[in-house]
Amino acid sequence: MKHIPATLLLSLLALVLSIPPLTSFADDSLIIYSGRSDKFVKPVIAEFTRQTGINVTLHTGKSTALLNKLRIEGARTDADLFLSNDAGNLQRGSDWGLFRAMTPSLVAPINKRYRAADNTWVGLSARARVLVVNTQGPWADKLDSVFDLANPALDSKLGITNSTNGSYIAGVTVYMLAAGKDKTRQWLQGMKANVHGKVFNKHRQIVKAVASGKLQAGLVNHYYIYRHLDKYPDAPIKIVFPDQGKDGMGVAWNVAGIAISKHTAKAALAEKLVAFLTSTAGQKQFAEVNREYPVRADVAASPMIPAAGSYRVADVPMSALGKQRDATLDLIEEVGMP
Amino acid sequence: MASSFLSFTGPLRAGRRFTSLGGLATVVVLLAAMPLLYVIYNSLQLSTNEWLRLWSSRLPELLWNTLSLAVLVAIGCVLLGVSSAWWIARRDFPGRKLATWLMILPLTVPTYVFAHIYTTLLEEDGWLGRLWLGLFGETTPLPDLYNIWGVTLILSLAGFSYVFLLARAALSQPTRSLEEAARIQGASTLEVFWRVNLPLLRPAIAAGLAVVVLHVLSDFGAVSMLRFQTFTLSIYLQMSGRFDYQAAAGLSLILVMLSLTFLVLERFFRSRQRYYSARHSRQQPLRRATRLETSLIWLWLGLITLLAFGLPLAWMLSWSWQAWAENLINAEFWGYAGNSLMVAVIAATLAVIAAFPVAFYNARKRSVGSQTLLQFSSVGFVLPGPVIALGILSFLLAQLPFLYGGLAALLIALVIRFLPLAVQSQDAALAQLTPSVEQASRSLGAGPLETLWHVILPMIRGGMATAWVLVFIDTLKELPATLILRPTGFDTLPVRIWIEASEEMLELAAPAALMLVIGTLPVLWIMMKNHAVKMDSD
Repeated sequence: MKHIPATLLLSLLALVLSIPPLTSFADDSLIIYSGRSDKFVKPVIAEFTRQTGINVTLHTGKSTALLNKLRIEGARTDADLFLSNDAGNLQRGSDWGLFRAMTPSLVAPINKRYRAADNTWVGLSARARVLVVNTQGPWADKLDSVFDLANPALDSKLGITNSTNGSYIAGVTVYMLAAGKDKTRQWLQGMKANVHGKVFNKHRQIVKAVASGKLQAGLVNHYYIYRHLDKYPDAPIKIVFPDQGKDGMGVAWNVAGIAISKHTAKAALAEKLVAFLTSTAGQKQFAEVNREYPVRADVAASPMIPAAGSYRVADVPMSALGKQRDATLDLIEEVGMP
Repeated sequence: MASSFLSFTGPLRAGRRFTSLGGLATVVVLLAAMPLLYVIYNSLQLSTNEWLRLWSSRLPELLWNTLSLAVLVAIGCVLLGVSSAWWIARRDFPGRKLATWLMILPLTVPTYVFAHIYTTLLEEDGWLGRLWLGLFGETTPLPDLYNIWGVTLILSLAGFSYVFLLARAALSQPTRSLEEAARIQGASTLEVFWRVNLPLLRPAIAAGLAVVVLHVLSDFGAVSMLRFQTFTLSIYLQMSGRFDYQAAAGLSLILVMLSLTFLVLERFFRSRQRYYSARHSRQQPLRRATRLETSLIWLWLGLITLLAFGLPLAWMLSWSWQAWAENLINAEFWGYAGNSLMVAVIAATLAVIAAFPVAFYNARKRSVGSQTLLQFSSVGFVLPGPVIALGILSFLLAQLPFLYGGLAALLIALVIRFLPLAVQSQDAALAQLTPSVEQASRSLGAGPLETLWHVILPMIRGGMATAWVLVFIDTLKELPATLILRPTGFDTLPVRIWIEASEEMLELAAPAALMLVIGTLPVLWIMMKNHAVKMDSD
């Protein structure tokens, strides 16, 4: 009698322990830890399943949290693949040795700049950091470099995201490597003075504020502008691909990409998925759902956006976004960006 | 006349039978403190220089932000909670029952949903934004929520119900004879409130505030959405931005010490006063409210309801309607709802069982040791969810790898996170039990377990129900630990809200939020029916 509570507790514990993994995954199915929006991934995955009969489970979360999880899980992980929309996270995973190298012929069609040097991850679609400018305001034709955003004349007229945003951090890394640390520091200081602590959580809100005339210019990913124009075709905004002058550094790109988990037992299946995503058809679809740029040079982007070759892209390898991330964060913190 | 009485008790005689109970309590607390060990281990890796860097670069701001937020939210919750509780407990007015419900319904809305809804409503084309611009013209800037006042507003609206519940219970208790006695001595209304009601209310307010402040310290949803740098947000950013576990652990350790200090202080102030009330006190009819009072009461309660529940509910309904029209509420959606429900029911049950030895041991022993155990059981509540999750992940994989893969990791995390809620309400309920009841049972020849089963448990049923409901509600809303520890492909409603809201798919986030509200209604009803709240205050 005396030990009933203990017995009770122990049997309950046993009960919990015996709850089996809820989903048992078949041998011919894949699990992706996905840090990218479901709505951009699901249609492509559905097409893959339709063509191959291979089922795919999306375990969606924040890229960084999933990477942490992958790292701690080690050999125990369920994940066969890791999908992220930031090259920095992918490279970080490679540096930690979480991924396995893909067959070289598989990733050969993708430009070296958009994949890991050791082929442990490969980019799938690219987005450009661009300026959104109000076409009815005084700045309509005056901005052609990201560094113009530090101009004190833009006081209270500039929209940027908060400094924890992944795209923002990646952009700063590119500028730091392409234009130097000092110039980037001054630029950040200038923008900080212009925004007075008022920064945005979402790129969408920046585009909206520029369209309404409350702000004159903002720093965003290109597709947010087109998304706004879908809804409001007459909105007085335009896209500016910055730093195209003779000595300009070019536009900062970042890629979304995929990696195969080092501990997967289904490497062959996983490579099938990568092959599909890097195929001409897969590339077209993966990039088109969000109007991004396919990383394959032989696949054209959506006709609604300027072709990839029509403007200069900053010459920074995507792997640097991972390797230089801490240095970028240090710089952002040193300036005290909100 | 004086049919209720106040009495003071010292610690009870401690017998041998407490040893196995104490052992059990110790096991539970050790399990609950497991993530803390992970935190301590990781922060030990920090060099002195890194500590100094953390200290000089972040700590002053984080301390100031976190503490001032806690104080402001506490004030906000007392203003909203005590004022509404006072009217509802002391006046009879039309719709009084409904009013009670309206004051606790905000508990069903998670803070991240609150923050999301209010930031959306206050955009230029949001409902409130348009109203504002219509009233004050285009030139008046919209109110900005991205500061301490915005976070205070959100967290007060989301948390005042805890203070309301406990204050209402305390105010409903028959202390009228004391008030009458004071009046006969010539005290004015204000004096009666100040010298009789407030001292009696103090334990309830303190208990309510303890829950509120712990929620503030551990809140992730509102502070991350509104970018207000508290310890929890900063810890999260260290882990996600830089993958710097050690700095995150160092900050967590300071947060834990801060919270434990607060809890010890709160206990100290509470334990100086302990009242037992006799059950056979005279129930007095409530004074009917005059018409003026009725309109004032409803004006005030209506305003609170509008902000804390009406607007969020209207927002959820309007977007859910859109989702319904677009056929987005499908089998997958019901699957998420089912997952949420299952996890919340199991976690709440386990937490209530695990909490009992800790609470009971303390109720009977009231020693420094038992108090210490009680405080340490709170560790889970104050550690940020992502830190607990990674701690459990590391621990399970290193020590109990066979447990990994199913629901076990998630359930353990949820029980650890919300154990203190169960411990606190059970402790409060047990504290109200007059020790003489147990002594009577024992002297009539009942064994300790018989006494427990036939006497004690039935008498604290209300407190147990409250404990279960509180854990259930918080589990249902839990996001950060669930995001990391859920089994592969296992999504709950909060996880879906988070995914859809970060994609700006409002019509998909809204039905999930609405479902959380609906799912909480039956358990709130159970709690109210049990008069559990009455038992909950000490």
